[in-house]
Amino acid sequence: MNSKRTAALMQQLVYIGPALLFFGITIIIPFVMGMYYSFTNWNGVSGNVEWVGLDNFVKIFTSDRAFADSFWFTTKFTIVGVILTNLVGFFLAYFLTKKIRGRNFLRTIFFMPNVIGGLLLGFIWQFIFIKGFATLGDVTGLAFFQLPWLGDEVTGFWGIILVFVWQSSGYLMIIYIASITNVSKEVLEAAEIDGANRFQVLKNIMVPLIMPAVTVCLFLAISWSFKMFDLNLSLTKGGPYGSTESLAMNVYNEAFLNNRYGLGTAKSLIFFIVVAVITLIQVRLTKNKEVEA
Amino acid sequence: MKKMKLTLVMLLAFSMVLAACGGKSSEEGSGSSDAASGDVKTVKIFQFKTEIVDGLNELKVEFEKEHPNIKLDIQTVGGGADYGASLKTKFASGDAPDIFSNGGYAEMEMWFDNLEDLSDQPWVADLVDMAKKPMTKDGKVYGMPMNLEGWGYIYNKDLFEQAGITELPKTYSQLEDAAKKLEAIGVTPFANAYQEWWLLGNQGINPAFALQNDPDAFIKGLSDGTEKFAGNPLFEEWAKLMQLTLDHGNKNPLTTDYNTAVSLLATEKAAMMQNGNWSQTEIDAINPDLNLGFLPMPMGEDAEQNDKLNVGVPANLVINKNSPVKEEAKVFLNWLVTSDIGKEYIVKKFKFIPALSTIEATPEDMGDLGASVWEYVQAGKVLPQQAPKFPDGVTQEFANSMQAYFAGKSDVTKMLEDMQASWDSLSQ
Repeated sequence: MNSKRTAALMQQLVYIGPALLFFGITIIIPFVMGMYYSFTNWNGVSGNVEWVGLDNFVKIFTSDRAFADSFWFTTKFTIVGVILTNLVGFFLAYFLTKKIRGRNFLRTIFFMPNVIGGLLLGFIWQFIFIKGFATLGDVTGLAFFQLPWLGDEVTGFWGIILVFVWQSSGYLMIIYIASITNVSKEVLEAAEIDGANRFQVLKNIMVPLIMPAVTVCLFLAISWSFKMFDLNLSLTKGGPYGSTESLAMNVYNEAFLNNRYGLGTAKSLIFFIVVAVITLIQVRLTKNKEVEA
Repeated sequence: MKKMKLTLVMLLAFSMVLAACGGKSSEEGSGSSDAASGDVKTVKIFQFKTEIVDGLNELKVEFEKEHPNIKLDIQTVGGGADYGASLKTKFASGDAPDIFSNGGYAEMEMWFDNLEDLSDQPWVADLVDMAKKPMTKDGKVYGMPMNLEGWGYIYNKDLFEQAGITELPKTYSQLEDAAKKLEAIGVTPFANAYQEWWLLGNQGINPAFALQNDPDAFIKGLSDGTEKFAGNPLFEEWAKLMQLTLDHGNKNPLTTDYNTAVSLLATEKAAMMQNGNWSQTEIDAINPDLNLGFLPMPMGEDAEQNDKLNVGVPANLVINKNSPVKEEAKVFLNWLVTSDIGKEYIVKKFKFIPALSTIEATPEDMGDLGASVWEYVQAGKVLPQQAPKFPDGVTQEFANSMQAYFAGKSDVTKMLEDMQASWDSLSQ
């Protein structure tokens, strides 16, 4: 009996041990160290690390306007980004599961932006926004293209949103497609025979049945948009006048630009807690809505 | 620092190279600690001037030929923040370089625990006086300045002539006249790359600090609360100057980056641009036939006070105090500025304005702009760069406040108050 348990333990150790070890070294230990540094005033270089207790957190919540601003920016970005990417992703999937010509080709096309890295994509779009749109504006005279793209806070915000949606909705589309093709044909047919119109089928049959996919997609979109950094860096670098600085970028700048590593890690700890709480709530909420056919 | 895009590309490339080099250098590192065996020792260099990478690699070959016992391992990451972050990572992971770049003043203080005292090195006596300052503490020198850089308004001499500007503008009102004359012949007076934070918060703001009676006392006063930006006459004048460049500048200055401004100037669509001698190579790449020169950035109406160019030391090479091969590192630094080939590379390949009096540079080597800066330096008409003395991160915040003002989100008073708030918060 006892030897059996030991054998089982050994087995687990052999299979999970290596992964656990690497997870510990690369994730857990740095995380705990980060927690420690968030209570210090370390500058990232010097040998003396002073314990300052909750000072960093007090500072963040009482006097750090930039953190509050970037928090608000990220919140706005997340709300708009999550809704748009999921809507676009879902409807792309909805139409690309219909019998239309070239749909495999189209699926590939819409997925493509996801394969390109965020930095590269950001630079391409920066060029499009600044040079391409300006030229189009001169040629066509359309007001939309003559806006100072990325040059003020409104166009900066929507510029990043546009590229974000363009980049990530393809990925969500794939998840939705997988889920939609799994919805059983009988249920759909039954609904049609009962006289449900397209909208009713979509709302009352399709959406409830693909709720597991919605859970996953919402989760992905929320964590992506909260942690967005590369697009931000390559498109606006947080500018103009710091109006499009995301939380992740604020943390990075605090730690490496202002050389206040302790304060930066304190911010990232808050950041982690916020993302964790929000995604947990979201997963719980949407899980409740999942049904079986 | 000047080429953010290139920087990011470099950063990506670097991460790949790192994978390849990492293993190699650690192998050699273990060999080098074994001093008794007389093995080849490797000196690891980590620096941020992306524009000299090719030249450095050629120099490396020459150096290794002359010193078969020393190998160089050169890595480059550009851009202020990215370089700083990578350097910290290297130190934290025990892969500290033996020679690295440092900006001086506040940055020297930050890395001070790791810096080797270089005062006894033979080249120290030859340093130009102003180049020595950023890395000097308590009379000791801790770094080798790589070069001098100057900035102000680069102007196109031919366009100025066409517009009938005979006397070079040295005051605010003369500059305004010049701008109007340029507009009359259909040329945009100023190419403003006001997307770039360094151009605004680090360089553009320099005259307002450097022209204070005692810049160091003023900076100290800002930190202890006895001085304020708002109400300081020089900062008011400086805001007026910025407004002038906006009123007579290109469209969408906040989305105009360095490269765009350079091409506006090089294609003669614009006649002036606030920038430094480093842009010579990029301008030459587009249009090598331009006649260029520097105008100082005029603040108010005192022509004599204004006739000075901003000059700074962009980077210094320092030696890691705890490096096992610091003697070899010193050999390389010395070789770099005393050997004939090293000197030649500094002026001919890197197009540097040398920071040592023993290195001779001709106007042909440095180009129009470098020569113009050199003239100002030799005449002593310089405004030393103040930004390295600021609290970390404040230059970026300055740029944010300035951009908000340019975008019409705030007025001069609000901008100066914002700058004050950033200073107060970051100097704590």
